[in-house]
Amino acid sequence: MITAGIDMGSRSVKVVLLEELDVNGAPQLKYGVKKAYIMMPGDMDQDVAAEKAYDEALAEAGLKREDVSAVFATGAGRKQVAFAKEGVTEMTAGAKGAVFMYPAARTVVDVGAEEGRGMKTDAEGKAIDFAGNEKCAAGAGSFAEAMSRALQMSLKEFGEASLQSDKSIPMNAQCTVFAESEVVSLIHSSTPKNDIAKAVLDAVASRVCAMVRRVGIEGEVVLIGGMVHNAGFVSSLKNAMGVDTISLPDMPEYISALGCAMIAAERQH
Amino acid sequence: MADGLFDQFQNWYEKRHDYARDWKARTGGQVVATMCTYTAEELLIAAGMLPVRVLGAHEPQNVTEPHIFGMFCPFCRDSLAQGLLERFDYAEGVTLTQSCIQYRQTFSSWRSNVPTVQWDYFVPMPNEVQSPHARKAHYAEIQAFRVFLQALTGKELTDEMLREALAVVDENRRLLRELFEYRKEANPKVTGCEALYASITAQFVDKREHNEMLKKVLAALPTRQLNRPEGVRFMTIGSENDDLAFMAMVESVGSTIVIDDQCSGTRYFWNQSKPEDDVIKAIADRYCDRPACPTKDYPVHTRYDHVLGLAKEFNARAAIFLQQKFCDPHEGDYPDLKKHLEDNGIPTLFLEFDITNPIGPFRIRIEAFLETMSDEELF
Repeated sequence: MITAGIDMGSRSVKVVLLEELDVNGAPQLKYGVKKAYIMMPGDMDQDVAAEKAYDEALAEAGLKREDVSAVFATGAGRKQVAFAKEGVTEMTAGAKGAVFMYPAARTVVDVGAEEGRGMKTDAEGKAIDFAGNEKCAAGAGSFAEAMSRALQMSLKEFGEASLQSDKSIPMNAQCTVFAESEVVSLIHSSTPKNDIAKAVLDAVASRVCAMVRRVGIEGEVVLIGGMVHNAGFVSSLKNAMGVDTISLPDMPEYISALGCAMIAAERQH
Repeated sequence: MADGLFDQFQNWYEKRHDYARDWKARTGGQVVATMCTYTAEELLIAAGMLPVRVLGAHEPQNVTEPHIFGMFCPFCRDSLAQGLLERFDYAEGVTLTQSCIQYRQTFSSWRSNVPTVQWDYFVPMPNEVQSPHARKAHYAEIQAFRVFLQALTGKELTDEMLREALAVVDENRRLLRELFEYRKEANPKVTGCEALYASITAQFVDKREHNEMLKKVLAALPTRQLNRPEGVRFMTIGSENDDLAFMAMVESVGSTIVIDDQCSGTRYFWNQSKPEDDVIKAIADRYCDRPACPTKDYPVHTRYDHVLGLAKEFNARAAIFLQQKFCDPHEGDYPDLKKHLEDNGIPTLFLEFDITNPIGPFRIRIEAFLETMSDEELF
């Protein structure tokens, strides 16, 4: 059986086509990913973007729509996926996917483009508590992106630069717009770019960590979402949370779509 | 709902300024803007006035910054904005009974800067209502308010007039509780939105008219059928809330709001006065005895068991904290109240409210909260 999970994020559409495997006695590998596909929508119509991303993912996997038993959607724009049978929130989908990848995970941190959130999960991957940032991008990837632009660096350079710094410069502003002016002040005072990058990522990590503390930090911590690619942020988050390790999936943007496809599969039984 | 049973309440709510202007035109009475549900409305009603609680408009505004801090609670800022924008230009008076310091600043700015205000009065009700001296002090303040109103109107406020007003207000409280009783039932005959329309309008509609409308609704309720799924039964907790768009959203995603602990709801009307020979004592004590706002709930935190009791009585499965941003009294209570509820099997969700609220992100949080409580074995 093949199911699809579509994560309609605020910046990108992620599609996972999941195949349920027939594996006698294997404890973990009950599923295999047929295709993981990401697309940056070229227009504002999320329903058009969902259709396009889904069709392209199917084509790349060599599948037709009738091969898929159920399509479930998640993410901020999940209501726009008209062809989805059901939808689940990104908290439920993210926790499910993360625990599938890391069975010992009990704390899942999801930092995407527009929102950061922390989830507490049980052993089955069911989200049992969660917290998110409220109406502010200062705990999310778009904040880091805006700050890297202010420093005229790519996101990758930005993350790597922060790792070169051992300074702790506090950023007081909680708001993206004011934080940018704080960055400009640091530039004017000739603060090295590496130190500014670290200050920014420490600030993001601190906000994310404060959110996660609302649900409590327990068990293995998994970070999902696009910010996993930012090594500087991961380092800052470890420091902020006071944990030695944070598990990082190889394809972190797809974890919510994966969880969504798994829930779709389980609801067919 | 299609039967239109609560349409009059909704209409009053949506056209509340029109209602007050119309009331004034047909009665010739004064309208008084009131700022806290600790205000002894009985005295204003006895004096032939219409108490109208100041509510916000839930729309962006840019007029309050010169007067109060941006880190004051959104309800206080929105309430001041309505005055500065002259939405209450029909109100001759404005009054506040002491609750929190942010509201106090809103009141001070109102009386200084709203040009249509002709008189104002502040009732310095004790916050420590549990003190043995509180009742005596509040009695004296209610008596002083009476003297002020007599001087203002040039008419005596007799005990008989006060008793009559108290009876009208107590009847309103009794009828609202009767209405809320229907929310205890499985698949209640009254939704959370409808209950809010009924309770919030009591704060600015002539109580006699409001009572008549409540009686009509109560007469029709026994045979009412609401063809909607009950879903998860929620309680809401917080200060003022009249964000009907939020309420409607919550009730559209698989839930019913069955009870509240808010000053726009039960805290306003939950208790009636007790029989007393001295009518001022009856009025004053009623406000000391009412379900407490966090500003008046120390040293003993009576709220915690009261809120839990309501949740159990109305069979609420979970509670949502509607936390007005920067509302220190409620935020101070939050950690212990959350623990108290969760220790007793009531899961909670915290949402931070502002003048305008992001319905989309809030919907996701409500849906995720529902998913965490889902009995369905998904996994």
